[in-house]
Amino acid sequence: MRSLNRIAFLSVFTAASISLFVIESLFSTPIPGIRLGLANIFILLALIFFGLKEALLIGILKSIIGSLILASLLTPAFIFSISGTILSTFIMWLIIKSRLPFSLLGISIAGAEAHIMIQLFIAASIFLPGASFFYISPIYVLSSIITGSVTGFITYLIYSKTGRRYGLCVD
Amino acid sequence: MRSKSRFRPLRKGDILIIIFFLFFAFFLPKKKGEKVIISVDKTNDFVYPLNQDREIIVKGKLGEAKVVIREGKVRILDSPCPLKICENKGWISKKGDFIICVPNRIIIRIEGKKYDAITE
Repeated sequence: MRSLNRIAFLSVFTAASISLFVIESLFSTPIPGIRLGLANIFILLALIFFGLKEALLIGILKSIIGSLILASLLTPAFIFSISGTILSTFIMWLIIKSRLPFSLLGISIAGAEAHIMIQLFIAASIFLPGASFFYISPIYVLSSIITGSVTGFITYLIYSKTGRRYGLCVD
Repeated sequence: MRSKSRFRPLRKGDILIIIFFLFFAFFLPKKKGEKVIISVDKTNDFVYPLNQDREIIVKGKLGEAKVVIREGKVRILDSPCPLKICENKGWISKKGDFIICVPNRIIIRIEGKKYDAITE
């Protein structure tokens, strides 16, 4: 792809994921820490259309700029966000590369699970050692199945509608 | 043209991954606890066996809380904290359960025979 086109798409993706991340953080949810993860849509699209490097770039920029806007840079929330983003991007990239029979739904669910697992792990090992976060994980695992499939389905809609039109599609 | 895409929703792997995580969420069995660990202000840990009945007075940051171990279960019976969330948590008995009293800085948790890799 032409590099100008690529830069334009990457910046639009980054802007979109940052704004979704910020807007989403303004809504409160019944259980703390549960969000829909709409920013993941654009990270996943970047993984498919471009590659690991670009997706990681969008994810890291999303975490840093998003927490600058929300004034949470270098707080626990920021550490959760950036570690979850990096790990889930890696996991989704591995699944896409492995060519296993996963659709965007399954890839997104795997990413959501990786996101919440690393956060629970960090919470249990760094911030509150001793408290058994492992045992409250069922709530988070269940909710990330739901949020993962919602974002996966939205990603598929965007992918199938726009991918070919802009010459981004890979297969 | 659209049906050929490998990213079309609901392929075999999706159903497998959903079933796997549902299984993980629902059927992760909780094991019976072995010992009670009471820590105050993150500094000192008191360890008691769960199978001996006893009453313990724990000195927290606000005052004395009364903890009861009876028939393999633990609860905070009386606490000087304002909201009494720890008292209302009631009895806990399974490995990994915990009662946390934030104003009084008391954490009571139940461990099994072996520590988890995560809580280690």
